[in-house]
Amino acid sequence: MRPAITATAWRVALEEWRALRRSSVAVAAAGLLLALTLAAIVVSLERAHSVEVQRARLQQQADDQWNSQPDRHPHRVVHYGHYVFRPLTALAFFDFGVAPFTGSTLYLEGHRQNSANFSDAGQSSLLLRFGQLTPAFVLQVLAPLLLVFLAFGALARERERGQLRLMLAHGVSGGALLAGKLAAHGLLAVLLAAPALAALALIATADPLLVAPAGWLALGYAAYLLLWSAAAVQVSALARRARDALLLLVGAWALMAVLLPRVLPDVAAGMVPRPTRIEMEAAVHAELARIGDSHNPDDPYFRNFRDSVLKRFGVSKVEDLPVNYKGLVIEEGERLTSELFLAGMQRDFARQAAQGSVLETAALAVPLLALRSMSAAMADTDRAAHERFLLAGEDYRYRLIQALNRLHAEKVTYHDDRAQRISADYWRALPRYQHPPSPLERTVTQRVRPALAIFAGWLVAAALLAAWVARRLERNT
Amino acid sequence: MKNWKFELLLLLRSRPAAAALVVLALLSALSVWNGMRAMAAQRIALERIAAVHAADLAERAARQPADGDAGLTAYYTPHLTFTPAPPLAFAAIGQRDVQPYALQVRALGLQAQLYESEAINPELAAPGRFDFAFVLVYLAPLFIIALMHDLLSGEREAGRLRLLSSLPGKPGALWRRRVLLRLALVALALLLPLLAGARLSGAAPVETALVAGAALLYVAFWCGVAAWGAAVSRSAAAGAALLLATFVLLALVLPTGVNAALDRAIPVVQGAELALAQRQAVHTAWDKPREETMQRFFRTHPEWKDTAPLPEGFHWKWYYAMHQAGDDAVAEQAALYRGALWSREQWTRNTGLLLAGVNVQVLLHRLAGTDMEARMAYLDRVAAYHELVRRHFYPYVFGERPFGPADFARLPVFAPAPGAGLPPATLLCALALLAGAALLLGLRSTARVTMGPDPMG
Repeated sequence: MRPAITATAWRVALEEWRALRRSSVAVAAAGLLLALTLAAIVVSLERAHSVEVQRARLQQQADDQWNSQPDRHPHRVVHYGHYVFRPLTALAFFDFGVAPFTGSTLYLEGHRQNSANFSDAGQSSLLLRFGQLTPAFVLQVLAPLLLVFLAFGALARERERGQLRLMLAHGVSGGALLAGKLAAHGLLAVLLAAPALAALALIATADPLLVAPAGWLALGYAAYLLLWSAAAVQVSALARRARDALLLLVGAWALMAVLLPRVLPDVAAGMVPRPTRIEMEAAVHAELARIGDSHNPDDPYFRNFRDSVLKRFGVSKVEDLPVNYKGLVIEEGERLTSELFLAGMQRDFARQAAQGSVLETAALAVPLLALRSMSAAMADTDRAAHERFLLAGEDYRYRLIQALNRLHAEKVTYHDDRAQRISADYWRALPRYQHPPSPLERTVTQRVRPALAIFAGWLVAAALLAAWVARRLERNT
Repeated sequence: MKNWKFELLLLLRSRPAAAALVVLALLSALSVWNGMRAMAAQRIALERIAAVHAADLAERAARQPADGDAGLTAYYTPHLTFTPAPPLAFAAIGQRDVQPYALQVRALGLQAQLYESEAINPELAAPGRFDFAFVLVYLAPLFIIALMHDLLSGEREAGRLRLLSSLPGKPGALWRRRVLLRLALVALALLLPLLAGARLSGAAPVETALVAGAALLYVAFWCGVAAWGAAVSRSAAAGAALLLATFVLLALVLPTGVNAALDRAIPVVQGAELALAQRQAVHTAWDKPREETMQRFFRTHPEWKDTAPLPEGFHWKWYYAMHQAGDDAVAEQAALYRGALWSREQWTRNTGLLLAGVNVQVLLHRLAGTDMEARMAYLDRVAAYHELVRRHFYPYVFGERPFGPADFARLPVFAPAPGAGLPPATLLCALALLAGAALLLGLRSTARVTMGPDPMG
């Protein structure tokens, strides 16, 4: 761009800001959004903190219960089980994502895989369905509406008042004019996002691990809002009257930020049917019945298992084994059921991913879907984060139960098995649940880059459109 | 009458207005269809569940020996409970997409089984469903704002406002006609698909009429607000800005704010605490003298006090006494948890006394039987059924009688009940008051504009 054009564009931008500052409606609306952002930050931070404290306390309580068990038979401990609670990550305050719709309490016991229970959605009135006051909600839904309001008159009003013709007659090129307006509203978009992004930066300074996700979040939201402001300015440039521009833009907002983000998940659910929990459990049990029944002494699978154990230890009777055969059988049974649980889980995750991929495709046309996906991913509150909790919980359950079954095999004798107890020190020494950290690099590749690519594509399209709009501005004012 | 006809023609000749009404009717029809589709899918899923369960039960019945051990049968046999979608659930799906609509229970401790969750895809649940309630609460106000934000400024900008003001007749009659006409058309566009859906779903006339009435009041509320916004704004853009800000505040910001406040003020951590306490109560019985557990059980079930004393070694009597005593031990906590959930619902209803959007949501979901109250009623039915099941097994377990195929065939069967009910009258009155006040405000402000001097003139 030639310096003269840049200078003109800059003057246009400054003039636009001056006009916006003078407009009491614009100032009031921006003030309202600012207040909402601040309220959302404070409310969400406080809420996330209280949830975190609550879960830490529950985890402590569960760990205390675990440790305060008296000397017991290890299989009692298998049935006693353990509780784990999904901890909240530091950026969750920014975007609760799907977290309110997932259970955070997981009961781990032998022979069974339980659902994660006590989700917010299940315990809230239908108020929750109005959405949640988080910085993400403000920036995703409310900020675009404000941007549209500030920008719908950018060129359409000047056209109505005949100022556009005047400026072009004074030698201001269409390109410089449009560039100036785009710059003015683009910067405004970034300014509107600034308080929320500043809160992100503040949180990130406390933990170097959060710098990258916070940075990606800032980039994603900035691109998303820039897109809205660019669209609004150009619609304003094309509309005959400011009113038309406003109606069109508010309609687009209703469609892209309210309607489609609701309709498309329903479409995805309709396209990829999923069975209910009861059916999935029945399928696992049917598979299990096909393999074998550890309670049946004549079951072929477990007869084979017994023979192979006897052979391995070179004895002819289970009573002669150096280990407790009952413990071994339970261990083998747990291995089999857990494999099936895991396979069933993966099958269902695949179905959910198939539903998710419908949304990923739709995100090409509906940028909010792309933003929502990357935002929840970076805040570690997306479906993948929940699946990670379920998988880690299942993995921990399996290792815990098998460690207890090992104790059953090695520390409890076959004869008069049930009447024995072993020291509680054995299970107190077992490791505690460690919540796995977010696989940041993979998440960035899977969620952030596609979203940013979508925004980039739209922004390029907006730029191409701008070139055409600029020429059109000069032709017919 | 002629005036009305003329206004109708005038409105429908405006292409954007006619298009808006058609689109709204289409969206309403789409939401009704989508809701019915979702409920049909749930009905089919329930049929599948019933089939899976029946097959499992038949297989167990066939295996039941004549001298069967009631304790063992009770331990393994699942019992199906379910809550079919009430006829109007399609209009407001509410909690039905996040809560299980079928739950299997065994004769063991109930509190460990009651809060099992459904395997939902949270990514699809989080945005909320596209049902009639959504179209009504979120989209209808936007359409009303689009139709009415320039009610006066449009005439002013077209230079007709003075002329219209000087027309003979009662002041404000023209605007009243225009506002009421838009109200009627918006209501028609919304309600025709709803009524068709209710008819197809076999909903009762009273409930259907109440849903339609609530929707009509909500539309009236927004028409009143929109008329007010149009009257106090100088330009169409200012009217749109004012009304959209009102919409964002009333439909998005305040409800989410109230929800955040309720979340904080009424914690429901009792759920998880209850689970921890119940497990502790059940399992510590293994480390206590067995007679102690039996005495605790007899306190709530004295009819089994005089059965034979516990023998040496394991006995199912003691096992089921232990599970029931565990439930009894946390009864108070369970009631507290329930109370907390209920007070969240109560406060939501109280919010509905002031916020029309929340109010109409509460009304619709109550009439549809998809709210927290319906959920709690279902859990109560599960608890009552669980007790029936337990009490079916107790005579065999405590009387040490064999449990044969005939006894198996007599196992109690769960009887579902519709979760729908009539909403509190106060809420309906509050909505009528809110709608009446808004409409009055709107009509008065428009009437005043006509009488006053034309600011542009």
